[in-house]
Amino acid sequence: MRYSPRPAGPIVTRATFTFLLAAIVWSAVSGCSSLPESQRSDLRDPFENGNRKVFAFNMGFDTYVIEPVADAYRNGVPEGGQRAIGNHVKWAGMPSTAINSALQGKAENAGLATLNFLVNGLTLGFVDLVEDDTPIIKEDFGQTLAAANVPEGSFLMVPFLGPKTTRSFAGTIGDMVMDPIGTLAGGGNLQTVNQLRTPVAVVDFRARTFDAFNDVKYNAIDPYSRVRSVYYQTRAGMLEDRVRSTIGASESNDEFDDFFEDES
Amino acid sequence: MPVSSAVKLCRMASMLMLFTSLVIVALPAGADNHSKAAEAHIEAMIGSAKALLATDSGDLAARTEQVTDLLDTYFDFPGITRFSAGQYWRAASVTEKQEYELVIREVIIGTVVRNFDQLKGLEYSHVASTEKGSKLVLVTGRFSDAMGERPSVLVNWRVTTLPGKPVKVLDIEIENISMLVTQKQENVAIIRKNKGKFGALITAMRKKLAS
Repeated sequence: MRYSPRPAGPIVTRATFTFLLAAIVWSAVSGCSSLPESQRSDLRDPFENGNRKVFAFNMGFDTYVIEPVADAYRNGVPEGGQRAIGNHVKWAGMPSTAINSALQGKAENAGLATLNFLVNGLTLGFVDLVEDDTPIIKEDFGQTLAAANVPEGSFLMVPFLGPKTTRSFAGTIGDMVMDPIGTLAGGGNLQTVNQLRTPVAVVDFRARTFDAFNDVKYNAIDPYSRVRSVYYQTRAGMLEDRVRSTIGASESNDEFDDFFEDES
Repeated sequence: MPVSSAVKLCRMASMLMLFTSLVIVALPAGADNHSKAAEAHIEAMIGSAKALLATDSGDLAARTEQVTDLLDTYFDFPGITRFSAGQYWRAASVTEKQEYELVIREVIIGTVVRNFDQLKGLEYSHVASTEKGSKLVLVTGRFSDAMGERPSVLVNWRVTTLPGKPVKVLDIEIENISMLVTQKQENVAIIRKNKGKFGALITAMRKKLAS
């Protein structure tokens, strides 16, 4: 295994390549036309017609590639192996969390993520050696942009990557550029592990959410708008550090406040 | 100031102080009762769900019947119906409202029946309760996998505590995803895609249920 530093060029190329690929496929299937507000099913979604086409493309890709692989993974890989892979996926996200926590001034979270990354790095994250129950809250560059008051932008359904907003999509590209694992992975086994990271993370996520995902995919009346709603709610929770944390209670939810005001 | 007026003023001030202190004492007590009632409601519901899971034979018809009873006992179906239709509820005709009430109920029961197995092996523990005004209590709990195979998840139950009405569950929020808000946003999207026609939502729901 080699830990030779890699110049910044190829990492930028990887991010640029991902962005260009997504943009080309999105343009090809969508047509990129903006809908007037009266024709949108959600005001935040001006490219709905194109987004729905991309969603259909993603669901087709899921049906023929990701779903069968995830099904085989969850039925074929022993529980311990799945846990180890899940640990690795989480570990690989720690640098991004550390950097973005630091950028947002969340020193404790940055410290915990750095410690977790360094300690569990001994096993490439496959074994969780940290016995601290303090949750590390995931932070990405999209959240950093939000903390810097960058507007959320429009809803986008990105080929292969799924639901995003223009801000979170820009954040994804930013995270790829800043990824220190990509910088270290000069070649050999570490590079192979690094290249497999994204597909493994996708399969791991799909396997962990298999039943819930399939329930939306096959049983929702309008899976697209359901996915959009779930995405916005999850993202809102992440921006308030309420997802996968010990803080469970929403501080406010305008939808419910309005409902009871209307009722009275 | 005459002595009698001063005495009257003192009496009024004393009465006012007594009244104020009674209100101060009474308010938190009432609020606390709401929380306690909401927590007790959730505990009772979890107990009933556990009993159902313990006796569940996997027979779909029997499960549907039992889940329907459970939801009728513990959930605020009229509230869920109105909330999930969003701003279009007011504009819907009486017939549409009646039809929608039946169809959304069927959709929700179907969703719970399909996903009921996922509750197997989970232990529930109460975390906290938060008053959201006088009509809503947010009861936070945690579902943990007894075998440790699945990560524990935080759940928020939105429990209505409306005056003169029984305590009921309006919504479940898992990891910040509200089931009711998701249903509402999906429903509103369908209505908007169909130029504001409420009937289009009912048709789409019926079509899905029949498939």
